[in-house]
Amino acid sequence: MLIRIINSIEESIIAILLASMTLLVFVEVVLRFGFGMGFMWGEEVALHLSAWMVLFGVSYGIKVGSHIGVDALVKIFPETVRRVISGVAVIACLAYTGIFMKGAWVYLSKIQMLGIEMEDLPLPKWIAHSILFIGMVLIAIRLLILLWSIATGKADGFNLTDEAKDSMHLAEEAVASSTTEGGKSV
Amino acid sequence: MTTAALFFLLLLCLISGMPIAFALGLSSVTTIMLFSNDSIASIALKLFAAESEHYTLLAIPFFILSSAFLSTGGVANRIINFAIDCVGWIRGGLAMASVMACMIFAAVSGSSPATVAAIGSIVIVGMVKAGYPEELAAGVITNAGTLGILIPPSIVMLVYAAATEESAARLFMAGLLPGLMMGSMLMLVIYFVARVKKLPAQPWVGFKNLLRSSVSAGWGLMMIVIVLGSIYGGIASPTEAAAVSAVYAYFIAIFIYRDMGPLKGVPWKENENDSLAKIVSRNLILTVTALPKSIFDKDVRNVFRDASKVSIMLLFIIGNAMLFAHVLTTERIPHHLAEMIVSWGLPAWGFLIVVNILLLMAGNFMEPSAIILIMAPILFPIAVKLGIDPIHLGIIMVVNMEIGMITPPVGLNLFVTAGITGHNLTWVVKAAVPWLMLLLFFLILITYIPQISLFLPEYIDHLKGY
Repeated sequence: MLIRIINSIEESIIAILLASMTLLVFVEVVLRFGFGMGFMWGEEVALHLSAWMVLFGVSYGIKVGSHIGVDALVKIFPETVRRVISGVAVIACLAYTGIFMKGAWVYLSKIQMLGIEMEDLPLPKWIAHSILFIGMVLIAIRLLILLWSIATGKADGFNLTDEAKDSMHLAEEAVASSTTEGGKSV
Repeated sequence: MTTAALFFLLLLCLISGMPIAFALGLSSVTTIMLFSNDSIASIALKLFAAESEHYTLLAIPFFILSSAFLSTGGVANRIINFAIDCVGWIRGGLAMASVMACMIFAAVSGSSPATVAAIGSIVIVGMVKAGYPEELAAGVITNAGTLGILIPPSIVMLVYAAATEESAARLFMAGLLPGLMMGSMLMLVIYFVARVKKLPAQPWVGFKNLLRSSVSAGWGLMMIVIVLGSIYGGIASPTEAAAVSAVYAYFIAIFIYRDMGPLKGVPWKENENDSLAKIVSRNLILTVTALPKSIFDKDVRNVFRDASKVSIMLLFIIGNAMLFAHVLTTERIPHHLAEMIVSWGLPAWGFLIVVNILLLMAGNFMEPSAIILIMAPILFPIAVKLGIDPIHLGIIMVVNMEIGMITPPVGLNLFVTAGITGHNLTWVVKAAVPWLMLLLFFLILITYIPQISLFLPEYIDHLKGY
């Protein structure tokens, strides 16, 4: 239950970020062509919304298995070996998040101390950039959960995306709509 | 030493099965920490800058969102009906129509496997029913599906633009002619095969039906027209065009096609003999009331979820690939490679052969975007030194990636075709090989006749008076 709530909160935040950056750029285009005006801060805000979506969403991607990778080799090995390799890979990724958490912390505290503001917005830069640290913490949490499932045998590696399999639902949908009138109206 | 460490670490990370983004980032960060004096705070800043300072990159989530709205079975069917009405009456017309449908759907969806799945699942069965050999049907679709990454708007081209800081707009111009050429080449060969094998033709449906199906498919086609028109005309940047196309696609999918969302299944006419005024007012009210409902609609949420998953994955790889490219440039690796190659006296055409072989090999194991992000920063400076146009190089790389989609073991299109036909992979590979030869021939054309790619961008420059 709790997991489902967290899931839907994560999805909603990501969807809102994606929708708002799309609408922001769209409105900017309309204003520019329709009325010859625009926002000074449009570009900066859209770019930061995108950065927030990405850095917030990476951990979500690990959970739902939307990242791509090369698992052809790992798959050759028997399950135990595969789990050991995957465990090491997860620990390596944890090292990655560790390095970036440290780096982000040093960087953020430096710009916070200097009191630098955003270029076009009256907002301290460290707040806008804080997602780098937050995102890395979230990724680390997901990786720890993954490591635990690998250790207990519930998973045997990263849940990587399979684009070919993902496309198959489209095949079903296309066949379904070709048999109904829906495909022909309008 | 540094170079060796970087590539060794990258390879090690990649084969361990970790996501490509982490593999790129970790190998770069480790190399920086081992061999240079950069502080980790500055590396962290680089990653954030990579995610937040490239306005062109915003086009990627926008295009993915707009294609997520329009990559539906319903849209595929409309495009197929339109294509069959257009060219179905020619001998072998059903196969030619399939190629045409693949080209259009590919431009709308930007994804090769999605094109094969959506178009293939309908037309392969249709072709077999009409008396075509199944191998031919499957082979044609598997190959035609690859056009998704060549015909603009194309995500892979945006990725190349990001990796090399070339103009995405010019790449979109350069990709159009090769894409159309590839499609027409496939259709031409199908025509000759159809003559030899005495494949059937469909009856001509008449202008009225053609008009009806073209209006129906036209809503989707308009998206391509809007995007390419505004970019070619220099009115909008790819990012702006993509944002407009995302909003347009939302509108078409929810309120016009009604394949998803609150109006799903609601007919345009309540009764057959409604007056025009009644139809207009009724649909206007429906649209206005559905607008707020669509925000909380399950289908719309799913579109956003799918689009954001893919966008996040891609943009995170790109951010880490920029760190990787940063290590490459500070170590001057491409520069050294370029000097080495020039000192060998390798001519441009020889270099391009090497590029083709290298990319075809890489394409057997990795995703197009990932390959471009790793290879482009290395190949680009060498190509420039040898006098090869960067835009031309981009198109060569994209065509190579197309071929990678139909060569095992990672040829995504092969898996999709195997899935929709129910045959095994070997059968699909055999069916695709004759058409793969055509694609390889096309690659040679593209590689050695730069004018095919460069004609349109140069012509548009000329029109604008440069």
